[in-house]
Amino acid sequence: MKGRKYSFSFVLQVVLSLSAVLAVLLPVFLAGNLWPTAARDYLERNGVKESGAKNLVSAIYLGYRAFDTLGETIVLLVAVSGTITIIAHSGISLAKGFAGAGLAKPGSKSQLIARRTELIDVVTGKLGPIVLIFGLYVMLFGHLSPGGGFQGGVVVASGIVFISLGSKTDRSTQLQKAGVLARLEAAGFLFLVFAALAGILGGHGFFGNPFAGTGASAGTYIVALNAIIGLKVGAGIGFMCVAMLGRVD
Amino acid sequence: MTVIILILLVGLSVYTLSSGDLLHGTIALSAFSLLSAILFYLLLAPDVAITEAAVGAGVSTVVFVWAIRATERKDAK
Amino acid sequence: MAERVLLILLCLIGFWGIIAKKNIIKKIFGLYILNSAVVILFVVEGARIGENAPIMAEGVSHVADPLPQALMLTAIVIGVCITSLALAIAFRLYRFANTFDIDEIRRKIRHAST
Repeated sequence: MKGRKYSFSFVLQVVLSLSAVLAVLLPVFLAGNLWPTAARDYLERNGVKESGAKNLVSAIYLGYRAFDTLGETIVLLVAVSGTITIIAHSGISLAKGFAGAGLAKPGSKSQLIARRTELIDVVTGKLGPIVLIFGLYVMLFGHLSPGGGFQGGVVVASGIVFISLGSKTDRSTQLQKAGVLARLEAAGFLFLVFAALAGILGGHGFFGNPFAGTGASAGTYIVALNAIIGLKVGAGIGFMCVAMLGRVD
Repeated sequence: MTVIILILLVGLSVYTLSSGDLLHGTIALSAFSLLSAILFYLLLAPDVAITEAAVGAGVSTVVFVWAIRATERKDAK
Repeated sequence: MAERVLLILLCLIGFWGIIAKKNIIKKIFGLYILNSAVVILFVVEGARIGENAPIMAEGVSHVADPLPQALMLTAIVIGVCITSLALAIAFRLYRFANTFDIDEIRRKIRHAST
């Protein structure tokens, strides 16, 4: 034992902070109330009819609580733009990424490539399009099986990271250019606002289903919303990751 | 089954916060996300499982590795 | 009941990481662990009342509560936004002070502003 003597004020601080934290957490964790089943019963009976989606979670965040989804896309927009701004104004150029921060000779793109082996190029470059297709599937089938806008969007972002990690300098796709991804994200947010306003034109209110009275099936609006949200989330997070990896040109 | 996974999660989080190398801590955080994705699947929540797996073991790990790679990697405790 | 005890332990470990660790990256680890513990708590509580996943295929009844799952989807994505912004700020602090230790950074900020 080292035999450190803790001062009285330190012990007092520890005891006070621990009791403050426990005073907040313990009533949450020790409450004996049963979880109320009213929400689950109502959704089981009416969820599929009212929104057209078999996946009840999709019905909730696209139908009953669509304002939460709108707010969360705004939070994503602000966070991605804030991160890129903080990194870009810190004195290193985004095109060099971490290579410009002093770990390698500046301007030596060959050194950056020499650090990666053939394994990464082959595996991630070839797996990238497969992950993108899987992300598109998860996004568009979100109303029938587990999936949806957010889930598909983050899988598409992982696919964009794969493609940008595995590309050689001479062959590159459009999807890893940062300008394209930034415009896709802004376009996705614009489409979401338009889709929300489209309900007003039909007389159903903000975020109302514009197809509710016509002959089209009620699931069309859900699929469209899923695709728009997936586009926005995927482009936003992919843009942030591509900028961090230093592939901005 | 969920109790076993929760015990492993507690052990991994203690290792994350007290390791001497930040990169080891990041890989332990990625394993934490993977285990919690499995936990969500066992708890009848497949949507949350897909999101946690793609976000925690994918995007979040990339961001942490970038921050450590661009700065420094050892923690002098 | 045992799950709740382990989850409160996970919350306390997250708090310990935020308060007691000197390295900024360890503080961000603690933030992420706290976020994950709250998400797991909600999903555990929501799964107590059902036996199937909330996908209404033919003949499925008595599903788990889908409302906490939908809210936790938003919480996970916002958690990754918070983590990436915090790491960008930590990167800026490193460019300013060349260290991650919070005491050193405080000393340098006090030096630079006098």
